[in-house]
Amino acid sequence: MIVELGHFAVVIALVLSLVGIASAVITLRTRNVDWARVGRSAITLIFVLLAIGMGALVTAFITRDFSVAYVANHSNSKLPFFYTVAAVWGGHEGSLLLWVFILSAFSTLAVWLHWRTQPMIMPYLIGVESGVMFGFLALIIFLSNPFTRIFPVPPDGKDLNPLLQDPAMVLHPPMLYMGYVGFSIPFSFAMAALFSGRLGEEWIKVTQRWTIFAWLCLTTGILLGGYWAYYELGWGGYWGWDPVENASFMPWLVGTAYLHSVLVQEKRKMFKVWNLFLIIVTFSLSLIGTFLVRSGVLTSVHTFATDPERGLYILMFVATVIGIAFGTLMMRSNTLKSQIVMDSLVSRESVFLFNNLFFLVATATVFLGTLYPLIIETLQGAKVTVGPPYYNTVFMPIAIGLLFLMGIGPYIPWRKASTAALKKHFQVPTIAAMVGTLLLLVTGIRSAYALAGAFVVIFAATAIVLDFGSIARLYAHRYHVNVVKGFVSAFAHNQRRYSSLVTHLGVLVLVVGIIASTIYQSEKVVSLRVGDEFMIAGYHLKLVKIHEVEGRNWIAKEGVFELYRDGEFLTTLRPQKRIYTESQTPTTESAIYAINLGHVFLTMPDVSPDGEAVARAVINPLILLVWSGGGMMGLGVLLNLFRPRKKDA
Amino acid sequence: MKWISIFCCLSLLMGPCPSSWAGVVDESELDIQTREIAKTLRCTVCQTENIWESGAPLAQQMRNVIRERLAQGQTPEEIRAYFLSRYGDYILMQPPKRGINWLIWLGPFLLLFFGSLLLLREVIRWTRATPPAPPPPTLDERARQRLDRELHSES
Amino acid sequence: MSRGTQITLIVILVGLFALFYQGLWGDPRHIPTVLIGTKAPTFIGPDVETGRPISLDQFRGKVVVLNFWASWCYECRVEHEHILRLHREFQHDPNFVMLGVNYQDELSDAQRYLQRFGSSFPHVRDVKGTIAIDYGVYGVPETFVIDQHGIIRYKHVGPIVGPTYDDLKQHMLMPLLTGTEPSTL
Repeated sequence: MIVELGHFAVVIALVLSLVGIASAVITLRTRNVDWARVGRSAITLIFVLLAIGMGALVTAFITRDFSVAYVANHSNSKLPFFYTVAAVWGGHEGSLLLWVFILSAFSTLAVWLHWRTQPMIMPYLIGVESGVMFGFLALIIFLSNPFTRIFPVPPDGKDLNPLLQDPAMVLHPPMLYMGYVGFSIPFSFAMAALFSGRLGEEWIKVTQRWTIFAWLCLTTGILLGGYWAYYELGWGGYWGWDPVENASFMPWLVGTAYLHSVLVQEKRKMFKVWNLFLIIVTFSLSLIGTFLVRSGVLTSVHTFATDPERGLYILMFVATVIGIAFGTLMMRSNTLKSQIVMDSLVSRESVFLFNNLFFLVATATVFLGTLYPLIIETLQGAKVTVGPPYYNTVFMPIAIGLLFLMGIGPYIPWRKASTAALKKHFQVPTIAAMVGTLLLLVTGIRSAYALAGAFVVIFAATAIVLDFGSIARLYAHRYHVNVVKGFVSAFAHNQRRYSSLVTHLGVLVLVVGIIASTIYQSEKVVSLRVGDEFMIAGYHLKLVKIHEVEGRNWIAKEGVFELYRDGEFLTTLRPQKRIYTESQTPTTESAIYAINLGHVFLTMPDVSPDGEAVARAVINPLILLVWSGGGMMGLGVLLNLFRPRKKDA
Repeated sequence: MKWISIFCCLSLLMGPCPSSWAGVVDESELDIQTREIAKTLRCTVCQTENIWESGAPLAQQMRNVIRERLAQGQTPEEIRAYFLSRYGDYILMQPPKRGINWLIWLGPFLLLFFGSLLLLREVIRWTRATPPAPPPPTLDERARQRLDRELHSES
Repeated sequence: MSRGTQITLIVILVGLFALFYQGLWGDPRHIPTVLIGTKAPTFIGPDVETGRPISLDQFRGKVVVLNFWASWCYECRVEHEHILRLHREFQHDPNFVMLGVNYQDELSDAQRYLQRFGSSFPHVRDVKGTIAIDYGVYGVPETFVIDQHGIIRYKHVGPIVGPTYDDLKQHMLMPLLTGTEPSTL
């Protein structure tokens, strides 16, 4: 019954999305604000109805109602309760519903939040958001309905893909979607600006927090996905340049470019068309990402069953939205010529432009790499693989360029930089970077990319640390307090600037983690029996026991390994070779021990019936920096998001 | 799997031994070479994974083929060429650098190069078109000097 | 935005969507083979049912249809009766040979499968997967045709049913067996 209620709610939501579009059009025709109120109510009601729909689906999963096809296909009576929630978005139909539910929540919030201050924007916001929701709701109702019943009712469901039975997978999809969907708000404001011709800096200032929030969600989602891949896929890597990962990385790259480039328009009132272009590309890539993942055009580890009909529908819808957006941009762009005032090549404006160029080339690289197999198949009927070695060669130089720009950007003033200012900010960092790189060269690192990466990282980090030091001392002196207090008050004085520097610092920490865990990684695979031991990078691992353990929906062979270093016992590691009983799918569960910011990562990919086990150990030095860098980026963004309002100007 | 077992005398050199009579196992040179080759070949059934990281049975068999061929004295290049002759370019983890594939290898760098050139030209054009900036407000300058002084006086 | 930029943008977008549209109809598992026109690798292995060794060399000079299958593979079951029919249609031709290759399977499962669904020609067990790798196989079912000179002439990934069956029979096997050159497929 509750399932039918949920289904009904989603159908009504579809109808209301049409009401939303209509009310927007009528408001613009008649200039009657009552119609906008109708639209506002429609959007709000859609949110309520989709909450009911989501609730119904969650209930169906919790009560294990296997008469619902989607529930039967993605859960099982033995699936632990916690993962039944993850199972709601464990498949195609449920993820789409989650997508549009988040969209409705954000739209409702945006409409109510900006109703008073942005009355002229409202019809456009209502229209664009309703349009996007209509597209997705129609897809859900007609082509991938999660509420469809099956008859006869199966006695039990198929299991949720064991790889998705993981805490990170409960949070990863919602975070990612919040990121994708979050960009729809600045996108709607941009479209409003385009349609109405009100192209001041207003829309950018209003949507600034939305943009930062969306970026934070997308970043968190991507990092969670990386962390999941790290310990769940069992090979000790966090990023595989898989098409699905790339699909989330592309909007992130352009979104980051946009985040920086709007600062130019805010401060210097330039590049209006360019910013509109960037936000349209960001949201388009979010939609294209959804298409790529959901249509099976690019087969990847994650892709679900392919269905050309569904793919065709999503393609048509995505093409319509993107077509309208770019079409309007092109038609309006000639009336949008903004006066460009540029005093010097060495200026903040110019650095931002190069930042944008590098981000766009980075996006184009990922885009080309992701689509290249498809291009080659279409052109030549041949198949190629574009795997991590390609990206490691081509993407890295661009990333190093970006890090360099990140190092200099915050210290090059607007309009024009004087030689004295450059020298003041960059003399020490340059020397530090040269010394650091030389030291690494002496310790035997020969990889050109690693050395170049280290150079720019040291350079950028030194610049930021010096800056933080000098403002702390300045404020400490001025207010006669200690340096820590001085730093805090300096930080609060210009929280927007310093919180973004914290994010930059987080990026640098993350990059150090990536470089170090790549070049210093060691790996060993041995076969051994109980009582045997092996050594890797100064660690000693001894297999003391192999025994069977049982979970709610799996059985496993667990290897008990003792980990020693310099003869000192550190811990017991218990990697498992699991078989999920329902689907008979094997998985390898890794065992991880954190030490000195690094990881000892152990898996047991195979156990033969006669008791010979294969153990794979990976030592990942400094890998914790990857995650703590990510955390620092998040902290910086939060400080930026929750800064005191009066300091905005 | 071929493994070398040695007694504890070796581990005595490394420091105190966790257990005095255990067999110490290690990778052979063959294992390491197999890994290096396996990392460059794609597991054809599991899409974007290499046959080293993949748990698929086919990947396991391919690893065995690599090992056997290495044991027979083939070079890594010969082994890669063998797989290439059976599966085509698809088996390699990156597109071979020839023909149309130069597009993807050089494309990003060309884009960056010409993009930078174009952007540089535009920026220079814009700076030329911009009249020289008025001198910065004196108050700002004075304030800055005061801050500088305060900074210096502190250190 | 200049006219040139506008046109570039339109071309990129239209090209992109055309590419996506094209991609929707492609089979993500389709991999063109590089083996057609090359010499068929020889192999030797035990017969699934009798355990006696079978070698490709003993069929030199004949047209060989090589069918890779496994008991756990659903599509193999779909094509099985058609494979048997194909063998029935050509078995009286002395130049025609059909061989099954059992891939990544348990021996007992494979034997039970053949008992249950019928078997009219020999099947080789690919014990270490080396036959499959030699033939660039990545999934079952896959079917190859080797001509009298030991050259691979045909490869199909997926079940031999419907039009694929007719194609294989009329445009490949019949010409090869009557000594005419098959039209390209």
